[in-house]
Amino acid sequence: MAESVDKCVLSNGMVVLGERMEGVGSAAFDFMLPAGAAVLAEGMCGAANVIEDWIFRGAGKRDSRQLGDALDSLGLHRSSVVGSSHITIGSTLEASSLSEALGLYGDIILRARLEDEQFEPARQLAIDSVKGLDDNPRQKVMLELRERFYPPPLGRSTAGEVAELEKLTPAETKELISENFNLSQTIFSVAGKYDFDAVRRQIEGLFESGQTKKAEQVDIGSRAGKYTHIHNDGAQVHIGLMTETVRPADEDYYNARVAVSVLSGGMSSRLFTEVREKRGLCYAVGARYHGLKEAAGIGCYAGTTPDKAQETLDVIMAEFNRLADGISKEEVQRAKVGLKSALIMQSESSSSRAGAIGGDYYILGRVRSLDEIKERIEATSVNSVLGFLRRKRFGDFTVVTIGPKEVKI
Amino acid sequence: MEFKQKRLANGLSIIGEVNTAAQSAAVGFFVRTGSRDESKEISGVSHFLEHMLFKGTDKLSALEVNEAFDKTGAQFNAFTSEENTVFWAAVLPEYLEEVTGLWAELMRPALRDDDFNIEKNVIKEEIAMYKDLPHYDVMDRCRSLHFGEHPCGNSVLGTEEAIDAMGAEQMRGYFASRYAANNIIAAFAGNFDWERMCDLAEQGCSKWEKQDAARVLAEHTGSGKKERVEKANLSREHICLISPAVSAQDERRFAASLLGVIVGDDVGSRFFWELVDKAVAETASMQYSPMDGTGAFFSYIRCGAGNVGKALEIVKRVFEDLANNGVTEEELRKARNKALSALVIKNELPMGRLVDLGFNWVYLKTYREIEEDVNAVKAVSVADINSLIKQFSLSEFTQYSIGPA
Repeated sequence: MAESVDKCVLSNGMVVLGERMEGVGSAAFDFMLPAGAAVLAEGMCGAANVIEDWIFRGAGKRDSRQLGDALDSLGLHRSSVVGSSHITIGSTLEASSLSEALGLYGDIILRARLEDEQFEPARQLAIDSVKGLDDNPRQKVMLELRERFYPPPLGRSTAGEVAELEKLTPAETKELISENFNLSQTIFSVAGKYDFDAVRRQIEGLFESGQTKKAEQVDIGSRAGKYTHIHNDGAQVHIGLMTETVRPADEDYYNARVAVSVLSGGMSSRLFTEVREKRGLCYAVGARYHGLKEAAGIGCYAGTTPDKAQETLDVIMAEFNRLADGISKEEVQRAKVGLKSALIMQSESSSSRAGAIGGDYYILGRVRSLDEIKERIEATSVNSVLGFLRRKRFGDFTVVTIGPKEVKI
Repeated sequence: MEFKQKRLANGLSIIGEVNTAAQSAAVGFFVRTGSRDESKEISGVSHFLEHMLFKGTDKLSALEVNEAFDKTGAQFNAFTSEENTVFWAAVLPEYLEEVTGLWAELMRPALRDDDFNIEKNVIKEEIAMYKDLPHYDVMDRCRSLHFGEHPCGNSVLGTEEAIDAMGAEQMRGYFASRYAANNIIAAFAGNFDWERMCDLAEQGCSKWEKQDAARVLAEHTGSGKKERVEKANLSREHICLISPAVSAQDERRFAASLLGVIVGDDVGSRFFWELVDKAVAETASMQYSPMDGTGAFFSYIRCGAGNVGKALEIVKRVFEDLANNGVTEEELRKARNKALSALVIKNELPMGRLVDLGFNWVYLKTYREIEEDVNAVKAVSVADINSLIKQFSLSEFTQYSIGPA
């Protein structure tokens, strides 16, 4: 597989990463700005969403409309994600438009106009999207779950709290931007078709003089309650559960990934077989690894009608707990092939790669090559996975349900 | 890229676009059947049948099927719409043979009673799941209101009652009439050996029977009705509007698609600037949805209860302005660039390419290079879009809303 990782660190500390891909005409880039939900000050939950919107409402010499038109003219497919640690803004585009797009993003990050009259709609949209979550219990249950599973502020809702959003002022939000758009902690990544020298020079020219400061340590508290039920007269009970596991930097990371795949990788995995195929309890059931830099968990979702909710939860918990009792060679083999295939297929998408290399650098301090990941997956075995599961048994589960009926834990 | 095709004696079409530079390959069996091909008594059977294909054959149990797929590391699944049922897998080239052989076997399923009865529960859970997703639910209800008695209004999932009442025998009858060789296309994209895949398809599929699997096509302009239901547990108003449009076979589909981007792309569109940017609605989109012999524009708007009147007033104004003044060169230029880059990005993945390849064959019975689609998008003029707006009035929409009491 043709791949090569480019990297340089600007004198202000900003990291520039690239992964060239053969045979593609697209490029994708991400700016990871260290202003995620967990990083922003207490009492301003949701401010990251306002910021992510507000900075696009005019920047540099362009007002909101002109900026939107300029981005659209390049045919960009934009993405903005508010996570625990970062606000990530980026685009996928035809490679020939890359340089112009980066120029516009330079304005957005460094010279957003942040006009007062544009603040109100940005805040209103953030409030609306929190309220909209009530109508999407499946998404809401996982946000509520992370909030309770991760020690605060790591799991702080990326959507926000209506009460805190309502109190937020333009001045406070500007302050948050100037405090947290810290270039020494910003990671830029690009993947696909690009010329690294040209990209590096352009990023350097745009950002080298921007503001920097030392990274601040986030104080981590202790985990909240074990079980929470949120009543909603919907058709299903939406169940979210999560239990602690090793972080991405841990020696056992790949053993954990294989274990999760045995549990819920493909359609022959344990959860799908036991919950859906044998018992017909759910349409949607699945578990996945979720890792932050500071903590990680295995999260599981299932949606089921009220009368089946208890049995669904019981079967899922039993499958988690049974995992350490034994796993077959075939199960591990299927899990490994599945993980490797997904990795190679992901390597065909420039946007996936841009996101992956930026995430790697933040969490591990370096970019793993695809070959390294493949080798590490290949090196796992029944013994290594079982050894891990027995050394690090699943402890407490944090459980959240939304729906017409509670369950017993 | 090289295009290949072959037709077996029983009418099965095999098509493929070879791209030796790709890291992976994709295979799909496209069955030209969906909810529009169902009678009322068997509403939901196409989708239910799609689930049942995973339950195995006379030789393979459901678990064996799942294990066989997972052994290859394939990403695989199936989907059912109003007019297609598609079984697909994206896989590393070395596993394509295995996965293709497996799908070919599964296309002749056992349809066992026991499996049917267990899977009924899963289907009913899926129906319940969509009830809790009002943004899907409202689209489904609006489609049915818009199309009325026209078969495109049939629900893909069916109702819980219809699923309860359905018998396995009815499903077997439907299967025999719709999964005929001449109603199925086997398609390949990415890095694969064409001759080898043809051999496999021939071995696996040449015994399939031929059938008259025709579909009644009729144009439909929509009912224009307006309805609203209340649901006490909701907090937002979910509004779906459906306006008539050209069919999947119509040359004007590229103009229609660009009009969708101009009016309702998630950023930079008329809806975006008038509704979302001003925070009147939190989401507002419009998309062109081409169908067999007909077509529609689907709009979806979500807002707070206090903004419903204002939002609908703005939509009305946007549609009227388009009818009176048309779109501008500048709008078209931006929409074209977005559409072109979307084409490039999508087609870089074998799986993305497979979908276009398969549907072009289903709807147009032809192969189109990516370049042809690129040129067709580039050729659309302001006049083309404006004349489309004149012929298919956006303002004549059907409206369905679900919101709090």
